Amino acid sequence: MERAKILVIDDEQIMRDGCTRILTKNGWEVLTAENGKQGLAHLQSHSGETDVILLDLMMPGMSGMEVLEQIRTNYPDLLVIVITGYATVESAVEAMKKGAYDFIPKPFTPDQLRIVVRRALEKRTLQKEAEFLRRERERSLRDIATEKSKLKTIINCMGDGVLVCDREGCIVLSNPAASRLLKIPEESLIGNYVSQCPLNPELLRTIEESLNVKDRNYISISQELSVGETGETFLRAHTAPVRNDLGETIGSVTVLQDISHLKELDKMKSEFIAMVAHELRAPLAAVEQQLTVILNRMAGEVTEKQEQLLSRAKERTKGLLDLIRDLLDLSKIEAGKMIQYKEPLTLREVIEKVVELMRTEAEQKKVDLQFFPPAQNPIVHADRSGMEGVFTNLISNAIKYTPEGGRVRITLNEEGGFAKVTVSDTGIGIKKEDLQRIFDKFYRVKTPQTRQIVGTGLGLSIVKSIIDAHLGSISVESEEGKGTTFTVLLPKETGTDFHPC
Amino acid sequence: MPKKILIVDDDPDLVEAVSMILESKNYEVAAAYGGIEGLQKAKTENPDLIVLDVMMPDKDGYAVCKELKADPELRKIPVLLLTAVVSKIATTRYTQAAGLETEADDYIDKPVEPEVLVRRIETLLSK
Repeated sequence: MERAKILVIDDEQIMRDGCTRILTKNGWEVLTAENGKQGLAHLQSHSGETDVILLDLMMPGMSGMEVLEQIRTNYPDLLVIVITGYATVESAVEAMKKGAYDFIPKPFTPDQLRIVVRRALEKRTLQKEAEFLRRERERSLRDIATEKSKLKTIINCMGDGVLVCDREGCIVLSNPAASRLLKIPEESLIGNYVSQCPLNPELLRTIEESLNVKDRNYISISQELSVGETGETFLRAHTAPVRNDLGETIGSVTVLQDISHLKELDKMKSEFIAMVAHELRAPLAAVEQQLTVILNRMAGEVTEKQEQLLSRAKERTKGLLDLIRDLLDLSKIEAGKMIQYKEPLTLREVIEKVVELMRTEAEQKKVDLQFFPPAQNPIVHADRSGMEGVFTNLISNAIKYTPEGGRVRITLNEEGGFAKVTVSDTGIGIKKEDLQRIFDKFYRVKTPQTRQIVGTGLGLSIVKSIIDAHLGSISVESEEGKGTTFTVLLPKETGTDFHPC
Repeated sequence: MPKKILIVDDDPDLVEAVSMILESKNYEVAAAYGGIEGLQKAKTENPDLIVLDVMMPDKDGYAVCKELKADPELRKIPVLLLTAVVSKIATTRYTQAAGLETEADDYIDKPVEPEVLVRRIETLLSK
């Protein structure tokens, strides 16, 4: 703290000098005035700079009592210590009543003076700190108010829709874009429970799920919605739970984006691919059909050499047809036509069926294929054939890329709100630099070991599209030469299979 | 007397190849190169079974099948749909759903393996 300033108002020179001497020794700065008028004039020009006033009550001209009254009126914060001459206790009491902080009767010793002044200065320090804190609080309240209004303006100006729900699922905040995108008037959103709003049922499900989820690893869910009477508007919704510092869910936030134009482009692209694929497929199918007829000796005898050449030609057309079929699958998934039959599914049954189908392929390659069924039996809300496709693809890949004598293991577990499936093999593995790209369309790892393996490079991207359409996730870990593990997480069907932890 | 099979497909090369498969198994074959012609020949040729392509420009296989099954005379003829919309993933539901909708008696993917085609035809004819 800066040097404290004390103003001494006394008509006696000897008192002024005495006080100055005593107080300066303590490191305080002392200013003096010969009478009330001078004192008040000093305060007027240096009001903020004075901390404590020592005021003599008995002065010619303006009396100390009068000076005190003026100081209390004009500078209520200043602390005044009155010096009472030989006078009685009454004048000290009167001064205290008028708002003096303390008094000191004459004669006093230097120590007495110091004690009284120090006490006053300590009080002054506390006063200043309190004042500082009060201002600080005022400012932060103002800041919060400004911040709030700034945030509100930002949210209201956003092109993306925002919906915020509290713990009970009541909508506490929504912006004009949310009303526009969801085609629901604002008054039907704010203050209403999500379950009572005319919300898209899939979005409602996700919001309720994010409010009820116990798993702290659950971060957010992205989904595509179609809204409007004819489903003409497509939205992408990101929903995330809001947690307090204890990790408890206290609400949820949903951000909505209009992706209609992207969907439109995507649809055109998918239709184009589908059209091209069909156009390519028809002549190729005819060529393969002709080759089949010749190879089956239905158009006359065939020499051994001719058979060899035609068989190879048939292999090539088959490869092309596979590629086209994958393209068609992909365009169907992207057009949203493939995942249409979602129902509660027991993953265990789906996987058991796929494993049975794959057993012959595994036995032919002398690969040990095993499924470890779970203790729990997670149920997911999914398209059966989509799920069959996912696991057929992953397991058949694992067998394909695992050399003779290797192992392929499939596990099924529950992890939080998810069913978790792993497919691991002891195969050739995937290089680090390839790992990030294996879910890309048409990406194939080319090495001497994989050259013999037939494929289109579309399988894993189809798998990922299907899993995405189920709001799940797929990840991969691999070590070159040691093997690969794919992990699939699918959200469990809520409500039907609830295990409290 | 050999059974008569009507092949309906707009692709003449495919009609020829399928005809050769069926003729080699001693079936009598009639051909139509479009949906409308297919419906006419179903009446005039009096076939025991129809192999019907799905994707045709004038009238597609679903529409042809619907008309056949709505006709009190023709509805008894088994229809084997030739589909090109196959997919390894999700074969089951898609094609089954499509087949059921069209009331076709069976379906088979193009290109066909001779033994498979013949086996399916025999099954349908023996019903």
